[in-house]
Amino acid sequence: MQVQELVGIVPWTFIAQICNLFLQVYLIKRFLFKPINNMLAKRKELADAQIQEAVKAKEEAETMKSEYEQGIRDARNKANEIVAAAQKTAAVQSEELLKEAASQAAAMKAKAESDIAQEKRKAVNEIKDEIGGMAMEIAGKVIEREISEEDHAKLIDDFIANVGETS
Amino acid sequence: MELDISGAKVYFTIPTEIPILGDIQISETMIVSWIVMILITGLCIWLTHDLKVENISKRQALAEMIVEQANKFVVGNMGEKFRHLIPFVAALFATSIVSNLISLIGLRSPTADLSTEAAWAVVVFIMITAQKIKTGGVGGYLKGFTTPIAIMTPFNVLSELATPISMACRHFGNILSGVVINGLIYGALAVASSALLGLLPGIVGDVLAKIPILDVGIPAVLSVYFDWFSGFMQAFIFCMLTVMYIANAAEES
Repeated sequence: MQVQELVGIVPWTFIAQICNLFLQVYLIKRFLFKPINNMLAKRKELADAQIQEAVKAKEEAETMKSEYEQGIRDARNKANEIVAAAQKTAAVQSEELLKEAASQAAAMKAKAESDIAQEKRKAVNEIKDEIGGMAMEIAGKVIEREISEEDHAKLIDDFIANVGETS
Repeated sequence: MELDISGAKVYFTIPTEIPILGDIQISETMIVSWIVMILITGLCIWLTHDLKVENISKRQALAEMIVEQANKFVVGNMGEKFRHLIPFVAALFATSIVSNLISLIGLRSPTADLSTEAAWAVVVFIMITAQKIKTGGVGGYLKGFTTPIAIMTPFNVLSELATPISMACRHFGNILSGVVINGLIYGALAVASSALLGLLPGIVGDVLAKIPILDVGIPAVLSVYFDWFSGFMQAFIFCMLTVMYIANAAEES
Protein backbone atom coordinates (compact mmCIF):
# COMPACT_ATOMS: atom_id res chain seq x y z
CA MET A 1 0.00 0.00 0.00
CA GLN A 2 1.16 3.47 -0.86
CA VAL A 3 2.26 5.62 2.05
CA GLN A 4 2.80 9.31 2.40
CA GLU A 5 5.94 11.03 3.62
CA LEU A 6 6.49 10.77 7.36
CA VAL A 7 7.13 14.49 7.60
CA GLY A 8 5.47 16.53 4.95
CA ILE A 9 2.41 18.52 4.03
CA VAL A 10 -0.03 16.86 1.70
CA PRO A 11 -2.16 19.58 0.06
CA TRP A 12 -5.45 17.70 0.08
CA THR A 13 -5.05 16.52 3.63
CA PHE A 14 -4.20 20.06 4.59
CA ILE A 15 -7.38 21.40 2.96
CA ALA A 16 -9.46 18.59 4.36
CA GLN A 17 -8.18 19.28 7.87
CA ILE A 18 -9.06 22.98 7.63
CA CYS A 19 -12.58 22.00 6.54
CA ASN A 20 -12.74 19.39 9.28
CA LEU A 21 -11.73 21.94 11.89
CA PHE A 22 -14.47 24.36 10.91
CA LEU A 23 -16.99 21.57 10.62
CA GLN A 24 -15.98 20.46 14.10
CA VAL A 25 -16.39 24.03 15.37
CA TYR A 26 -19.91 24.07 13.98
CA LEU A 27 -20.73 20.63 15.36
CA ILE A 28 -19.43 21.35 18.82
CA LYS A 29 -21.28 24.66 18.83
CA ARG A 30 -24.48 23.05 17.64
CA PHE A 31 -24.39 19.97 19.84
CA LEU A 32 -22.63 21.09 23.00
CA PHE A 33 -22.60 24.84 23.51
CA LYS A 34 -26.01 25.72 22.13
CA PRO A 35 -28.06 23.24 24.20
CA ILE A 36 -26.04 23.83 27.34
CA ASN A 37 -26.13 27.60 27.03
CA ASN A 38 -29.86 27.51 26.29
CA MET A 39 -30.39 25.40 29.35
CA LEU A 40 -28.22 27.68 31.49
CA ALA A 41 -30.16 30.70 30.24
CA LYS A 42 -33.40 28.95 31.10
CA ARG A 43 -32.11 28.14 34.56
CA LYS A 44 -31.05 31.74 35.06
CA GLU A 45 -34.49 32.90 33.96
CA LEU A 46 -36.10 30.51 36.40
CA ALA A 47 -33.87 31.70 39.23
CA ASP A 48 -34.61 35.33 38.39
CA ALA A 49 -38.32 34.62 38.29
CA GLN A 50 -38.14 32.94 41.67
CA ILE A 51 -36.21 35.81 43.16
CA GLN A 52 -38.73 38.28 41.79
CA GLU A 53 -41.56 36.21 43.17
CA ALA A 54 -39.89 36.14 46.56
CA VAL A 55 -39.43 39.92 46.48
CA LYS A 56 -43.07 40.35 45.55
CA ALA A 57 -44.20 38.00 48.30
CA LYS A 58 -42.07 39.88 50.78
CA GLU A 59 -43.59 43.17 49.71
CA GLU A 60 -47.06 41.74 50.08
CA ALA A 61 -46.20 40.43 53.50
CA GLU A 62 -44.88 43.86 54.48
CA THR A 63 -48.08 45.52 53.32
CA MET A 64 -50.18 43.00 55.20
CA LYS A 65 -48.05 43.44 58.28
CA SER A 66 -48.46 47.21 58.24
CA GLU A 67 -52.18 46.79 57.67
CA TYR A 68 -52.45 44.46 60.63
CA GLU A 69 -50.40 46.78 62.75
CA GLN A 70 -52.66 49.66 61.76
CA GLY A 71 -55.69 47.54 62.64
CA ILE A 72 -54.25 46.57 66.00
CA ARG A 73 -53.40 50.21 66.74
CA ASP A 74 -56.96 51.26 65.81
CA ALA A 75 -58.45 48.56 68.00
CA ARG A 76 -56.28 49.55 70.91
CA ASN A 77 -57.25 53.20 70.51
CA LYS A 78 -60.90 52.28 70.39
CA ALA A 79 -60.58 50.10 73.47
CA ASN A 80 -58.88 52.95 75.28
CA GLU A 81 -61.67 55.28 74.24
CA ILE A 82 -64.30 52.86 75.44
CA VAL A 83 -62.56 52.39 78.75
CA ALA A 84 -62.18 56.14 79.21
CA ALA A 85 -65.84 56.72 78.36
CA ALA A 86 -66.90 53.98 80.76
CA GLN A 87 -64.75 55.44 83.50
CA LYS A 88 -66.23 58.87 82.89
CA THR A 89 -69.77 57.52 82.95
CA ALA A 90 -69.05 55.55 86.08
CA ALA A 91 -67.62 58.61 87.79
CA VAL A 92 -70.64 60.70 86.85
CA GLN A 93 -73.02 58.00 87.98
CA SER A 94 -71.27 57.46 91.27
CA GLU A 95 -71.27 61.20 91.90
CA GLU A 96 -74.98 61.32 91.16
CA LEU A 97 -75.57 58.38 93.41
CA LEU A 98 -73.60 60.01 96.16
CA LYS A 99 -75.46 63.24 95.71
CA GLU A 100 -78.80 61.46 95.74
CA ALA A 101 -77.81 59.50 98.78
CA ALA A 102 -76.71 62.66 100.50
CA SER A 103 -79.96 64.46 99.65
CA GLN A 104 -81.97 61.44 100.76
CA ALA A 105 -80.03 61.33 103.96
CA ALA A 106 -80.61 65.04 104.44
CA ALA A 107 -84.33 64.59 103.76
CA MET A 108 -84.46 61.71 106.17
CA LYS A 109 -82.64 63.73 108.76
CA ALA A 110 -84.98 66.67 108.30
CA LYS A 111 -88.00 64.43 108.61
CA ALA A 112 -86.57 62.80 111.68
CA GLU A 113 -85.90 66.16 113.19
CA SER A 114 -89.42 67.36 112.47
CA ASP A 115 -90.77 64.09 113.86
CA ILE A 116 -88.70 64.58 116.95
CA ALA A 117 -89.91 68.12 117.31
CA GLN A 118 -93.50 66.99 116.92
CA GLU A 119 -93.04 64.19 119.36
CA LYS A 120 -91.46 66.61 121.74
CA ARG A 121 -94.32 68.99 121.35
CA LYS A 122 -96.78 66.17 121.85
CA ALA A 123 -94.93 64.96 124.89
CA VAL A 124 -94.76 68.47 126.28
CA ASN A 125 -98.52 68.86 125.77
CA GLU A 126 -99.19 65.55 127.42
CA ILE A 127 -96.90 66.39 130.25
CA LYS A 128 -98.55 69.79 130.46
CA ASP A 129 -102.00 68.18 130.74
CA GLU A 130 -100.79 65.63 133.23
CA ILE A 131 -98.89 68.12 135.29
CA GLY A 132 -101.91 70.40 135.15
CA GLY A 133 -104.13 67.58 136.42
CA MET A 134 -101.63 66.63 139.10
CA ALA A 135 -101.20 70.23 140.15
CA MET A 136 -104.97 70.62 140.35
CA GLU A 137 -105.25 67.57 142.49
CA ILE A 138 -102.35 68.58 144.68
CA ALA A 139 -103.65 72.12 145.01
CA GLY A 140 -107.19 70.91 145.63
CA LYS A 141 -105.92 68.70 148.39
CA VAL A 142 -103.74 71.45 149.84
CA ILE A 143 -106.34 74.13 149.98
CA GLU A 144 -109.29 71.82 149.95
CA ARG A 145 -111.45 74.14 148.10
CA GLU A 146 -112.70 74.40 144.60
CA ILE A 147 -111.10 76.88 142.49
CA SER A 148 -113.20 78.51 139.99
CA GLU A 149 -112.80 77.36 136.45
CA GLU A 150 -111.29 80.67 135.58
CA ASP A 151 -108.64 80.62 138.22
CA HIS A 152 -108.01 77.08 137.37
CA ALA A 153 -107.09 77.74 133.78
CA LYS A 154 -105.07 80.75 134.76
CA LEU A 155 -103.06 78.85 137.26
CA ILE A 156 -102.28 76.12 134.75
CA ASP A 157 -101.14 78.57 132.17
CA ASP A 158 -98.86 80.31 134.64
CA PHE A 159 -97.43 77.05 135.65
CA ILE A 160 -96.85 75.96 132.13
CA ALA A 161 -95.22 79.19 131.34
CA ASN A 162 -92.93 78.70 134.29
CA VAL A 163 -92.20 75.14 133.23
CA GLY A 164 -91.57 76.26 129.67
CA GLU A 165 -89.12 78.79 130.97
CA THR A 166 -87.24 76.32 133.07
CA SER A 167 -87.12 73.53 130.51
CA MET B 1 14.53 -7.42 11.42
CA GLU B 2 13.29 -4.48 9.46
CA LEU B 3 11.54 -1.62 11.18
CA ASP B 4 9.57 0.76 9.03
CA ILE B 5 8.03 3.91 10.43
CA SER B 6 6.26 5.71 7.66
CA GLY B 7 3.66 8.37 7.06
CA ALA B 8 -0.06 7.89 6.72
CA LYS B 9 -1.25 5.09 4.50
CA VAL B 10 -3.14 6.04 1.37
CA TYR B 11 -6.29 3.97 1.05
CA PHE B 12 -7.29 5.14 -2.38
CA THR B 13 -6.54 7.89 -4.80
CA ILE B 14 -9.02 10.00 -6.71
CA PRO B 15 -7.24 11.24 -9.80
CA THR B 16 -7.76 14.91 -10.54
CA GLU B 17 -6.30 17.18 -13.15
CA ILE B 18 -5.72 20.02 -10.68
CA PRO B 19 -2.11 21.20 -10.81
CA ILE B 20 0.04 21.60 -7.69
CA LEU B 21 -2.57 19.98 -5.44
CA GLY B 22 -2.28 16.72 -7.29
CA ASP B 23 -4.55 13.73 -6.92
CA ILE B 24 -6.84 13.49 -3.94
CA GLN B 25 -5.41 10.85 -1.66
CA ILE B 26 -7.79 9.51 0.92
CA SER B 27 -5.25 8.78 3.62
CA GLU B 28 -5.33 7.26 7.06
CA THR B 29 -5.14 10.78 8.50
CA MET B 30 -8.38 11.82 6.83
CA ILE B 31 -10.25 8.67 7.75
CA VAL B 32 -9.15 8.81 11.39
CA SER B 33 -9.97 12.53 11.51
CA TRP B 34 -13.49 11.73 10.50
CA ILE B 35 -13.66 9.02 13.14
CA VAL B 36 -12.43 11.59 15.66
CA MET B 37 -15.09 14.05 14.57
CA ILE B 38 -17.78 11.42 14.81
CA LEU B 39 -16.55 10.51 18.28
CA ILE B 40 -16.54 14.09 19.52
CA THR B 41 -19.90 14.91 18.01
CA GLY B 42 -21.37 11.69 19.33
CA LEU B 43 -20.01 12.50 22.76
CA CYS B 44 -21.53 15.98 22.60
CA ILE B 45 -24.91 14.60 21.56
CA TRP B 46 -24.77 11.98 24.29
CA LEU B 47 -23.78 14.56 26.89
CA THR B 48 -26.48 17.03 25.97
CA HIS B 49 -29.50 14.83 25.35
CA ASP B 50 -32.32 15.11 27.82
CA LEU B 51 -31.14 18.33 29.46
CA LYS B 52 -33.01 19.46 32.52
CA VAL B 53 -33.17 22.82 34.23
CA GLU B 54 -33.11 21.39 37.72
CA ASN B 55 -32.30 18.09 39.37
CA ILE B 56 -29.64 17.34 36.77
CA SER B 57 -27.92 14.05 36.08
CA LYS B 58 -24.18 13.43 36.43
CA ARG B 59 -23.91 13.37 32.67
CA GLN B 60 -25.40 16.83 32.41
CA ALA B 61 -23.21 18.08 35.25
CA LEU B 62 -20.19 16.91 33.27
CA ALA B 63 -21.42 18.64 30.13
CA GLU B 64 -22.03 21.84 32.07
CA MET B 65 -18.61 21.57 33.64
CA ILE B 66 -16.97 21.20 30.23
CA VAL B 67 -18.79 24.27 28.94
CA GLU B 68 -17.92 26.21 32.08
CA GLN B 69 -14.26 25.24 31.77
CA ALA B 70 -14.17 26.27 28.11
CA ASN B 71 -15.81 29.58 28.99
CA LYS B 72 -13.40 30.14 31.84
CA PHE B 73 -10.38 29.24 29.72
CA VAL B 74 -11.24 31.61 26.88
CA VAL B 75 -12.81 34.45 28.84
CA GLY B 76 -10.19 34.23 31.59
CA ASN B 77 -7.31 34.48 29.14
CA MET B 78 -8.80 36.74 26.49
CA GLY B 79 -11.60 38.72 28.10
CA GLU B 80 -15.32 38.98 27.50
CA LYS B 81 -15.10 40.29 23.94
CA PHE B 82 -13.72 36.99 22.67
CA ARG B 83 -16.72 34.93 23.71
CA HIS B 84 -17.37 34.02 20.11
CA LEU B 85 -14.07 32.14 20.04
CA ILE B 86 -15.13 29.69 22.74
CA PRO B 87 -16.45 27.03 20.34
CA PHE B 88 -13.39 27.39 18.14
CA VAL B 89 -10.95 26.88 20.99
CA ALA B 90 -13.08 24.07 22.38
CA ALA B 91 -13.20 22.35 18.99
CA LEU B 92 -9.46 22.76 18.56
CA PHE B 93 -8.78 21.33 22.00
CA ALA B 94 -11.22 18.46 21.64
CA THR B 95 -10.01 17.51 18.18
CA SER B 96 -6.39 17.71 19.24
CA ILE B 97 -6.81 15.66 22.38
CA VAL B 98 -9.00 12.98 20.84
CA SER B 99 -6.65 12.77 17.85
CA ASN B 100 -3.69 12.37 20.17
CA LEU B 101 -5.34 9.73 22.32
CA ILE B 102 -6.89 7.73 19.49
CA SER B 103 -3.50 6.10 19.00
CA LEU B 104 -4.30 4.22 22.22
CA ILE B 105 -6.85 2.10 20.35
CA GLY B 106 -4.37 1.31 17.60
CA LEU B 107 -5.36 3.88 15.02
CA ARG B 108 -2.81 6.28 13.63
CA SER B 109 -3.22 9.73 15.19
CA PRO B 110 -4.21 12.39 12.66
CA THR B 111 -1.88 14.63 14.65
CA ALA B 112 1.03 12.42 13.65
CA ASP B 113 0.66 13.98 10.21
CA LEU B 114 2.16 17.44 9.77
CA SER B 115 -0.65 18.38 7.38
CA THR B 116 -3.11 18.39 10.29
CA GLU B 117 -1.12 20.69 12.56
CA ALA B 118 -0.16 22.87 9.62
CA ALA B 119 -3.83 23.29 8.77
CA TRP B 120 -4.67 24.28 12.35
CA ALA B 121 -1.67 26.57 12.66
CA VAL B 122 -2.50 28.34 9.41
CA VAL B 123 -6.07 28.90 10.56
CA VAL B 124 -4.80 30.29 13.85
CA PHE B 125 -2.22 32.41 12.03
CA ILE B 126 -4.91 33.90 9.82
CA MET B 127 -7.01 34.64 12.89
CA ILE B 128 -4.05 36.32 14.62
CA THR B 129 -3.31 38.41 11.56
CA ALA B 130 -6.97 39.32 11.12
CA GLN B 131 -7.09 40.38 14.76
CA LYS B 132 -3.96 42.49 14.34
CA ILE B 133 -5.39 44.21 11.29
CA LYS B 134 -8.68 44.73 13.09
CA THR B 135 -6.87 46.29 16.04
CA GLY B 136 -4.37 48.52 14.28
CA GLY B 137 -5.67 48.75 10.73
CA VAL B 138 -3.72 47.59 7.68
CA GLY B 139 -1.29 50.49 8.09
CA GLY B 140 -0.74 49.75 11.72
CA TYR B 141 -0.24 46.08 10.95
CA LEU B 142 2.36 46.76 8.25
CA LYS B 143 4.01 49.44 10.34
CA GLY B 144 4.34 46.91 13.15
CA PHE B 145 6.98 45.12 11.07
CA THR B 146 9.27 48.13 11.06
CA THR B 147 9.49 48.43 14.81
CA PRO B 148 11.67 49.32 16.56
CA ILE B 149 13.70 50.32 13.45
CA ALA B 150 13.16 49.75 9.73
CA ILE B 151 16.16 47.48 9.44
CA MET B 152 14.44 44.95 11.64
CA THR B 153 11.71 44.33 9.07
CA PRO B 154 13.04 41.02 7.70
CA PHE B 155 13.46 39.66 11.18
CA ASN B 156 10.00 40.75 12.15
CA VAL B 157 8.56 39.03 9.08
CA LEU B 158 10.52 35.92 9.99
CA SER B 159 9.32 35.96 13.56
CA GLU B 160 5.77 36.45 12.35
CA LEU B 161 6.06 33.44 10.09
CA ALA B 162 7.76 31.46 12.80
CA THR B 163 4.61 31.59 14.89
CA PRO B 164 2.52 29.09 12.89
CA ILE B 165 5.54 26.99 11.95
CA SER B 166 6.64 26.62 15.55
CA MET B 167 3.11 25.89 16.70
CA ALA B 168 2.62 23.21 14.08
CA CYS B 169 6.03 21.64 14.49
CA ARG B 170 5.88 21.61 18.28
CA HIS B 171 2.66 19.66 18.33
CA PHE B 172 3.60 17.44 15.45
CA GLY B 173 7.07 16.71 16.81
CA ASN B 174 5.75 15.62 20.17
CA ILE B 175 3.17 13.27 18.72
CA LEU B 176 5.51 11.93 16.05
CA SER B 177 8.18 11.27 18.65
CA GLY B 178 5.63 9.15 20.49
CA VAL B 179 4.85 7.20 17.32
CA VAL B 180 8.52 6.70 16.49
CA ILE B 181 9.56 5.72 19.99
CA ASN B 182 6.60 3.37 20.38
CA GLY B 183 7.50 1.77 17.03
CA LEU B 184 11.11 1.38 18.10
CA ILE B 185 10.15 -0.05 21.48
CA TYR B 186 7.73 -2.53 19.94
CA GLY B 187 10.36 -3.58 17.41
CA ALA B 188 13.12 -3.82 19.94
CA LEU B 189 11.02 -5.79 22.41
CA ALA B 190 9.95 -8.18 19.67
CA VAL B 191 13.58 -8.80 18.78
CA ALA B 192 14.48 -9.19 22.42
CA SER B 193 11.70 -11.64 23.14
CA SER B 194 12.48 -13.72 20.08
CA ALA B 195 16.14 -13.83 21.07
CA LEU B 196 15.22 -14.74 24.64
CA LEU B 197 12.68 -17.42 23.82
CA GLY B 198 14.83 -18.72 20.95
CA LEU B 199 17.15 -19.98 23.64
CA LEU B 200 14.58 -22.61 24.52
CA PRO B 201 15.48 -25.94 22.91
CA GLY B 202 13.66 -27.68 20.10
CA ILE B 203 10.44 -26.79 18.39
CA VAL B 204 8.97 -25.10 21.46
CA GLY B 205 11.63 -22.40 21.28
CA ASP B 206 11.05 -21.90 17.56
CA VAL B 207 7.30 -21.41 18.05
CA LEU B 208 7.56 -19.17 21.11
CA ALA B 209 10.27 -17.06 19.47
CA LYS B 210 7.71 -15.97 16.89
CA ILE B 211 5.46 -14.52 19.62
CA PRO B 212 6.70 -11.09 20.81
CA ILE B 213 5.78 -11.83 24.40
CA LEU B 214 7.69 -8.82 25.80
CA ASP B 215 5.51 -6.47 23.78
CA VAL B 216 2.75 -7.06 26.30
CA GLY B 217 2.77 -4.54 29.12
CA ILE B 218 6.06 -2.76 28.87
CA PRO B 219 5.11 -0.30 26.08
CA ALA B 220 2.08 0.72 28.14
CA VAL B 221 4.39 2.32 30.69
CA LEU B 222 5.96 4.51 28.02
CA SER B 223 2.53 5.19 26.60
CA VAL B 224 1.65 6.97 29.83
CA TYR B 225 4.08 9.68 28.90
CA PHE B 226 4.08 9.65 25.11
CA ASP B 227 0.37 9.24 24.58
CA TRP B 228 -1.40 10.44 27.69
CA PHE B 229 0.81 13.17 29.09
CA SER B 230 2.15 14.42 25.81
CA GLY B 231 -1.28 14.19 24.22
CA PHE B 232 -2.88 16.35 26.91
CA MET B 233 0.04 18.76 27.11
CA GLN B 234 0.27 19.42 23.41
CA ALA B 235 -3.45 19.95 23.03
CA PHE B 236 -3.38 22.35 25.96
CA ILE B 237 -0.28 24.19 24.73
CA PHE B 238 -1.69 24.57 21.24
CA CYS B 239 -4.91 26.07 22.56
CA MET B 240 -3.11 28.21 25.10
CA LEU B 241 -0.85 29.65 22.39
CA THR B 242 -3.85 30.27 20.12
CA VAL B 243 -5.63 32.13 22.86
CA MET B 244 -2.55 34.09 23.92
CA TYR B 245 -1.50 35.12 20.43
CA ILE B 246 -5.01 36.34 19.55
CA ALA B 247 -5.36 38.17 22.85
CA ASN B 248 -1.97 39.80 22.34
CA ALA B 249 -2.92 40.78 18.82
CA ALA B 250 -5.97 42.54 20.22
CA GLU B 251 -3.94 44.44 22.82
CA GLU B 252 -1.28 45.83 20.52
CA SER B 253 -1.10 49.53 19.68
